[in-house]
Amino acid sequence: MNALTLSFTLNGNEVSIEISPNTLLVDLLRDNLRLTGTKVGCRDGECGACTVLLDGTPVNSCILPAAKVQGRSVTTIEGLAHENGQLSEIQEAFMHEGAAQCGFCTPGMIMNSTALLEKNPQPDDQEIRESLSGTLCRCTGYRKIVQAVVTAGEMKKSQG
Amino acid sequence: MQDKTEGKQKPKDQQSGASEKNLVVAGQSVTRTDDPAKVTGGLMYGADYAHEGFLHGKILRSPHPHALIKSIDTKKAEALKGVAAVLTGKDVPGRNGFGAILPDQPVICEDKVRYVGDGVALVAADTEEIAHEALSLIRVEYEVLPAVFDPRDALKPDAPKVHEAGNLLSDNKLRKGDVEKGFLEADIIMERTYQVPFLEHAYLEPDVTLAVPQPDGTMLVEGPMQAPFTVRRNLAAVLGVPVNRVRARQIHMGGGFGGKEDSPIDIGCRAAVLAFHTGRPVRIALEREEVTLQTCKRHPMIMEIKIGARKDGKLLAFEGVIYDEQGAYAGLGPIIPPAGGSHIHSMVMMPGPYEIPHAKVDAYLCYTNHPYGGAMRGFGAPQVHIAHEQMMDELAAELELDPLHIRRINAFRLGSATATGQVLDQSVGLLDTLDACAESFGWEERFGQNEYVDAESCKRRGIGVGMGWYRTSIGTAGDGCGANISVHEDGSVLLYSGITEMGQGAFTVLPQICAEALGVAMEDVRLVKPDTDQVPESGPTVGSRSTTLMGNAIIMAAAQVKSSILEMASEMLRVPAERLEAKDRLVYDRDDTRKSLAFKEVAARCMATGKRLIGQGWWTPPAASLDPETGQGNPYFVYTYSTHMAEVLVDVETGEVEVTDYVAAFDVGKAINPKALEGQIEGGVAMGLGYALMEEVAMVEGIPQNINLQDYLIPTTLDMPDVKPIVLEVENKLGPYGAKGIGEMPNIPATPAILNAITDACGGRVRSLPADPEHVFMAIREAGGPPER
Repeated sequence: MNALTLSFTLNGNEVSIEISPNTLLVDLLRDNLRLTGTKVGCRDGECGACTVLLDGTPVNSCILPAAKVQGRSVTTIEGLAHENGQLSEIQEAFMHEGAAQCGFCTPGMIMNSTALLEKNPQPDDQEIRESLSGTLCRCTGYRKIVQAVVTAGEMKKSQG
Repeated sequence: MQDKTEGKQKPKDQQSGASEKNLVVAGQSVTRTDDPAKVTGGLMYGADYAHEGFLHGKILRSPHPHALIKSIDTKKAEALKGVAAVLTGKDVPGRNGFGAILPDQPVICEDKVRYVGDGVALVAADTEEIAHEALSLIRVEYEVLPAVFDPRDALKPDAPKVHEAGNLLSDNKLRKGDVEKGFLEADIIMERTYQVPFLEHAYLEPDVTLAVPQPDGTMLVEGPMQAPFTVRRNLAAVLGVPVNRVRARQIHMGGGFGGKEDSPIDIGCRAAVLAFHTGRPVRIALEREEVTLQTCKRHPMIMEIKIGARKDGKLLAFEGVIYDEQGAYAGLGPIIPPAGGSHIHSMVMMPGPYEIPHAKVDAYLCYTNHPYGGAMRGFGAPQVHIAHEQMMDELAAELELDPLHIRRINAFRLGSATATGQVLDQSVGLLDTLDACAESFGWEERFGQNEYVDAESCKRRGIGVGMGWYRTSIGTAGDGCGANISVHEDGSVLLYSGITEMGQGAFTVLPQICAEALGVAMEDVRLVKPDTDQVPESGPTVGSRSTTLMGNAIIMAAAQVKSSILEMASEMLRVPAERLEAKDRLVYDRDDTRKSLAFKEVAARCMATGKRLIGQGWWTPPAASLDPETGQGNPYFVYTYSTHMAEVLVDVETGEVEVTDYVAAFDVGKAINPKALEGQIEGGVAMGLGYALMEEVAMVEGIPQNINLQDYLIPTTLDMPDVKPIVLEVENKLGPYGAKGIGEMPNIPATPAILNAITDACGGRVRSLPADPEHVFMAIREAGGPPER
């Protein structure tokens, strides 16, 4: 198959790279660009560990052809910290609440939570649970993850 | 934001002693050391390492659950461009068998396959795509054999033999008192059978292993693994080299739950054999479906119980039979010294945490042509708790007693004798957990209030209780754990431990204990990650043993260094060493705290004058015992206790169940990191809820049907209630700062608590799991239809 030149914005930077047209976004990120924070748990679009933001919307990068991001903006877990290197509120909140155990679902959870908080800075318990229901965690029982999203919302609010 | 955590509470008696002694680091909810890397995506898991130059290993698995291998033709695969090796059974350099306990599973099957996960050929190729293609080019001729899929069938004389020696792998007995006498004295005798299916661990990180031949001929194997020393032992035998020619190094794990005790041996041996033949690094990364097909599962069981009691609810006799399905290979099932198996643990725990004068259990562990059973959070205990906790409720209902009352009058207390005749002489907080849980949940007010939520609704409310106990340590056949510590001239510390991190928080809790024991700050301690070339033998990270056994070993190692520090400080301060205390980076005179030195100053002087600053700890629990004929003895040295209460809503028309409220109380001895411990509780309850309501690896003719996460369902955010954890501390006199194990306990009582709540809500009882809508619907029908309004 002919190679394809893909140009898109990745974590705020312009990227242009030659890929094979059947490359999946997750493999482009992990193998070609060595951004391994995005995880692969199932390759079925079921577990949510591979969640990244495409123009701000969470997508499962394990079932998305990389060609689909042509000209668009992709954000991964590596791109969440503020420009001065300070972690985002949801990253801080995950540590504060003890929301990560094995940590394998954490990047996907944080990406989903980031999109939710962007849309709704003060989500209630049910909204959080619905937003995160596509991201599986086998360790935590979700309570501290839900709490971390609440805490991040409060941190954002207090920082105005 | 309301924090529902009750936090730590004082038990009524057996007050904590050592655990309250002025601790600075232990007992604090320190932020986990690996958190910053986890929230930024920087933490490297096995699949994240660059693998340029690696060959990709793949396993050709059998399509048949039981068959003879007549021939294997690998020529076409070998000829494929990019293929470096195609191996069959004859190519294994050493022992063609591996296993955590008994090496009965071939690295590559030569003459026979026993389940659909069995490997008949291995391929190493330049890319995964080429490796896949090579697999498709291998021709295997099989002669299909009759297969056996039920442990009871496996015991029949004419059953197909999975292994030559027969299908009964282990036959164990527990005999206490005289059950016949007990049944004669009983006012009521009840008999029930409970059944549980195969369960998948469903850790989010699929298995991966990297085998890298070293220039000196040593084989390095890296990957997520719970038991690096067991991996090393197996690899050495399979490669035919001494143990010191293999190096196993743990990479941070994306969940294990017991499953990554077995699976890294499986793929580690196979990758190593490929690396041995090619002389090149080999990577095997299992896909999700391969994980389900190939790796171990939670043992399915059929459990028969006959129970006898007085009409006031006092238990008199318990008779149990366990048909424990091992599947195709021994895995972690049987007891073969020096390792203990899950089967014995099931037998020991089957009568429950109750005083019963007469008890008898017969436990049969049987080979079948299904995937093999291994460790999964609770190691044989969750299954039997599902049986005895439902039996207790069924008995209570028959006697018209409150399920709490019948548990309260029978539950273990200080001085109770277990079914193995072990007298529980310390740290028994079971009744404390019952009381704390009942108070927080409001059991008394809620019991008997099982009603439809309103006049129109088909949803009916119910509550349920589950009690449980779980060992700390491997027990039965011996256990031991080593730690090394070295302190440097600037006061910084290296801690060498072979206990692995799989998400439970060991890499945080163990440095906490080290810092506390030495008297330094948490950030002064750097943990050397598990690597069999660097850390002392520590045993596997299983059996809820890490905090307690490794914690004790660390304290012993620290004591050796600390004696140097205190002696030196005594000289420097001219204060008797007995009066000195090391805490929080200071060494000071207890009687006159103005006399003090910085820890690092004393360490520097020790180094300059040649005083010992290394410590080596080795802790072994008190000797375990279990008579093979009677099952009597002290199999484990201490137990954790727990009571859970759940509220459910059951839709009596569809059978759907929603868990709406949940309280879980534990006696943990001492919480070294309360927040991490809460996390263990909340996550454990989720796993227990999955077992109760949705999880089952469905088998058809030996073939797992639901092999990805689309079909194998685990709880999501929408399935989980807001679990309220309660932590009680009844000091374990043999634990570090009073601690005992917690990792496995939390999922154990959760499943029966939910099952009992379902019965309370709808009248039907699901005795064969899972209690999914279909089973609940059928149970309601069997009970004569939905309860009246």
